[in-house]
Amino acid sequence: MLKQILLHTIFLFLILIPCGEARVYLDINAPAFVPIPIVLPKWKAANRTPPALSIKAYEILANDLTLSGFFKVIDYQQLPLSLQKKEGIPNTFLVQEWLPAGGEILLTGEIFLESDGLNLRLKFHLFDLVEQKHLVGKQYEGPFKNLRDIVHRIADEVVLQATGEKGVHNTKMAYVVLYEGSKEIFITDFDGANVKQVTRNRSLNLTPAWSLDNKKIAFTSYIKRNPDLYLIDVDGKNLQRFSSHPGLNASPSWSPDGKQIALMMGVEGKSEIFLTDTDGGNLKKLTKGHGNEASPTWSPDGQWIAFVSDRSGTPQIYIMARDGSNVRRLTFEGNYNTNPSWSPKADRIAYCGRVEGRFNIFTIGIDGSGLRMLTSNSGNNENPCWSPDGRYIAFSSNRTGASKIYIMNANGLNVRPLTTSKGGESSPAWSRRWE
Amino acid sequence: MTKRSLSILIIILCFGFLMIGCPKKTVMKEEPSVSLKEKEAARIEEERALKEKEAKEREAKEAKEREAKLREEAARKEFEKTLVAKKEPGIEGVVFDSSLLKDIHFDFDKYDIRPGDASILTENAAVLKKYPVVKIQIEGHCDERGTNEYNLALGERRANSTKNYLISLGISGDRISTISFGEERPLDPSHNEEAWAKNRRAHMLVISK
Repeated sequence: MLKQILLHTIFLFLILIPCGEARVYLDINAPAFVPIPIVLPKWKAANRTPPALSIKAYEILANDLTLSGFFKVIDYQQLPLSLQKKEGIPNTFLVQEWLPAGGEILLTGEIFLESDGLNLRLKFHLFDLVEQKHLVGKQYEGPFKNLRDIVHRIADEVVLQATGEKGVHNTKMAYVVLYEGSKEIFITDFDGANVKQVTRNRSLNLTPAWSLDNKKIAFTSYIKRNPDLYLIDVDGKNLQRFSSHPGLNASPSWSPDGKQIALMMGVEGKSEIFLTDTDGGNLKKLTKGHGNEASPTWSPDGQWIAFVSDRSGTPQIYIMARDGSNVRRLTFEGNYNTNPSWSPKADRIAYCGRVEGRFNIFTIGIDGSGLRMLTSNSGNNENPCWSPDGRYIAFSSNRTGASKIYIMNANGLNVRPLTTSKGGESSPAWSRRWE
Repeated sequence: MTKRSLSILIIILCFGFLMIGCPKKTVMKEEPSVSLKEKEAARIEEERALKEKEAKEREAKEAKEREAKLREEAARKEFEKTLVAKKEPGIEGVVFDSSLLKDIHFDFDKYDIRPGDASILTENAAVLKKYPVVKIQIEGHCDERGTNEYNLALGERRANSTKNYLISLGISGDRISTISFGEERPLDPSHNEEAWAKNRRAHMLVISK
């Protein structure tokens, strides 16, 4: 009997120790998720670094953390007066000073502009206020012009510490903008900064897709009076046409191994899904039959392609193997389902479905189960596109009147506009992380 | 008649037959005696006559061709009067709208040719037959509802089913190219049924006159 009690006690002890120290990794899309309060004291501008620079870094960082949806940021202006003036990185032993701030995590930082005025050094330290211990500290160096990138890296690290997975603050969105009657391709940072025009041909430029190294964008353009497929560098240079069969060449999608592009091609008067090498060679027809086929998207393992087909009478989402075999229908609810996008986490597909005349974003399991409607009563919502970590979905919506791109959590919460523009935006394409 | 008269008659008749027969014999007898020089002359004369005939036929043919060309020119001028140049920034090529080529329209989500539109296409085909040099491009369009990519496919179908119908009416496929604009180029940017019906169309424009 005593032996049993002893064994049970040892057993309980062993269980409880890990519990006391384990960090619970947060799932932003779990139903019971509550944002973590994070305290952000002012950053220190070291030596003769202009204070405006540390304020700038602070603002970008606080915004990133809020946008991520994981955190409730307690910025220095919300702190008790005694703490407001404190800046920079405290000694671990003094961390308990910050308990009255009401946060669970403390993020402190310092920025140093070198005397040449060209290079920066940013240092941050993260503390667990509940456990009163130091979590991580890192230093980054880089040219002054990379300030935003460096701060985004820091935000990614903070998200990693809190959730077990790096954030996506160092990603960009390519999209289409209606501009003086033409449609041009633009890119912008994840936080809506650095809006840059990529194409400048005043034509119709549609369906952008990023190359895997983030260096090029594939897109359809009517420059030569036919919807042809082009490649262009992200800075707008090196325009190359790579698919120009008379008829449609549209909706490019890069295979996960970067070697092939799936696309819609018009053949004998109707649209089919084809595969091509990245120079337009080695054309392979994947679909057959009497339907209209559109919008190919690859599974993360590169073995399957989801696409739109109306072979059953109305447009629905289908899945086929990369050689065109094993075709199966995925969606059976509703009579207009298009725009599939395969989650990088492999298990779900997002798409646009029409319900009572309105278009909404849905996600569905690969096996057809777990159908979820993510938008409702908010105008028309189209073109869903997953973030590279599979935790967010970008889409276009005319909920405020004009068409704009929005980002939301994969469970439909935390919807926010990508940019501050007035409208005319559509067709978002999410880049990979800039390493 | 007396026996003597009858004999004389018979003798005269015999002479008559001989006379009729003789000339043939005379001709046959005379041929071998025509000289080679004269034969050559006759042949040259034949050739000259033939050449004159051919020249006359060529002239007549050329005159007809000139006439046809003049008619074509007149027709082209007539047709050109119906043309308005269309300027599209960022899209290569010179194109024209013609008041003689009418748009057809489609039901929502459909690309089949409805009976009313079939009559319009018959009229358009007649125009194309009247001006055989004209080449057209058929644009397929959709209304704004539905997603852009699927609408590109629908527009492609609309342009091509229109092309196939014109071919079935006897217009050569070489004269027709197609292009889908999906929902990207609405005629009416309003957001109501009326606008949408206007936008679901196939538009035929002239790319070579």
